[in-house]
Amino acid sequence: MADFFNTYGSLIVSMVLGALLGLSLYLPLMAGQLSLASPGFYALGGYIAAILSTTVFKRDGGFPVYLLLLEMVIAGVVSGLLGVVVGIPALRLRGIYLAIATIAFVEVLRVLALNLDITGGAVGIFNIPQPFSSQIEYLWVGLPLLVVTMVLIYRLERVRVGKALIAIREDELAAGSMGINPTYYKVLAFTLGSILAGVVGAISAHFLNTWNARQGTFDASIIYLTFVLIGGSRTFLGSVVGAMVFTALPEVLRGLADTGGLPVWLAQFLRDGRLIIFGVLIVVGTIFFPQGLVTPRIFGRKKG
Amino acid sequence: MMSNIILESRSLTRRFGGLVAVNDVSFAVHEHEIFGLIGPNGAGKTTLFNLITGLISPSDGKLVYKGAEISQKKPHEIAELGIARTFQNIRLFGELSALENVIIGRHLHTKSGIFTGVFGIPPAPQEEIESKQKALELLELVGLQERAYESAKNFPYGDQRRLEIARALALEPEILLLDEPAAGMNPNEKQQLSDFIKQIRNTFNLTIILIEHHVPLVMGLCSRIAVLNFGQLIALDKPNIVRNNPAVIEAYLGNE
Repeated sequence: MADFFNTYGSLIVSMVLGALLGLSLYLPLMAGQLSLASPGFYALGGYIAAILSTTVFKRDGGFPVYLLLLEMVIAGVVSGLLGVVVGIPALRLRGIYLAIATIAFVEVLRVLALNLDITGGAVGIFNIPQPFSSQIEYLWVGLPLLVVTMVLIYRLERVRVGKALIAIREDELAAGSMGINPTYYKVLAFTLGSILAGVVGAISAHFLNTWNARQGTFDASIIYLTFVLIGGSRTFLGSVVGAMVFTALPEVLRGLADTGGLPVWLAQFLRDGRLIIFGVLIVVGTIFFPQGLVTPRIFGRKKG
Repeated sequence: MMSNIILESRSLTRRFGGLVAVNDVSFAVHEHEIFGLIGPNGAGKTTLFNLITGLISPSDGKLVYKGAEISQKKPHEIAELGIARTFQNIRLFGELSALENVIIGRHLHTKSGIFTGVFGIPPAPQEEIESKQKALELLELVGLQERAYESAKNFPYGDQRRLEIARALALEPEILLLDEPAAGMNPNEKQQLSDFIKQIRNTFNLTIILIEHHVPLVMGLCSRIAVLNFGQLIALDKPNIVRNNPAVIEAYLGNE
């Protein structure tokens, strides 16, 4: 068991964090808003944690867990505030134009991080203190956060505010005629996603030990989008399953490549061709499962 | 007239580029009235509805509701003031159940926010239960209670129209705008719909503005009828007078 956790601890935590990032994209999608801003808030949250823990919160000896939790709260609040500021103008855009604007936002943050002194420039921030003695222990923070987030989203989809979001997704114009203020609810959904991404960033900075401008880039936007598109965008379970599968997939492929007896070219392909495999899966997935693999229909809905 | 004016259009005009879809249209709708709006295709009837419900704003002129101007208000503000509508091309939340559609119509009559709702802090749970109860009553009123949990998109056309009316009624409006409610219904269903519209007008004390092509339905139902042609109001009077108006006959049948 200890062996298993030593080998796969990092991967398991990555899967949990990936699921949370998938959910941060799912939240604005609940209101039909395709936002790719999550990596930007993820990077922001990471920098907040990295800077705080290497300066103000710096401790001799171990880094206490409560400071990590405090950083998560700060990262969430700052990301949420920035989410409102960015969301109000950005959500005037629709569909693909919103996606483009949020990509631009991610780029702006990346270039800022690359050029500011406080973010360590291109080198970034390293030696971020560890609150845990092994990587698997990050589950103590990540797993409860994932479970709580899933429960809250499950609840949200069943109450007034969640129904308003879904109404906007289904037909924004009709939702407006029902007295739902589309701007308010779109900004709300966007902000919730921002908060979540920021909080996950704070955990990731410690988990990865270093933080630099390569965290939270356009590539990451596309990977998170894959989580949600292939997993399923109509239920939060789709995002969670998609994120876990797609985080684990490269490692599984690498493992397959290492099992002996494979032709050299195939092993090589499994090891290095995973981006090709990803690409093919995205194309095939969107053709045959336009709503993703996990749809509400699977659970046989009876909701009121 | 005997009753008060609830909605007034004053020289209302809407241009789309060179096209004047609604041209200097003035009329007043009285409380508790069933007001018909007819005219050939492209006459500007739905544009007028879109102006009243704030989906588009007028190029000129004013809309006055209960003495206050509403011309520049957004759709959700108009809904809040008590004007609900249905759509000519049916705009239900297709993936959602009939019940959820109507519950969403209760949005303005429920107050719970994200925290009280998600964490079930009173009175939010009670509110959700009441919403569901009210929604089920409305579904029963339109005869869809048996199919409350089915996706709206799977409903036959006539049922979708009824569901849209139930959803609009969930707003507890003072004015209900019905955009071709009888479209796609057979004569028998049309007669039932006519009785139903009178019934809800009386039960909920509504003012109803109705766009309809089916002339017998409009004639039998409405107290007054406005006729639009090429964006202009060419007649406004009681049904039997409008019916014999030469301009109306010409608009509908041509002047040959």
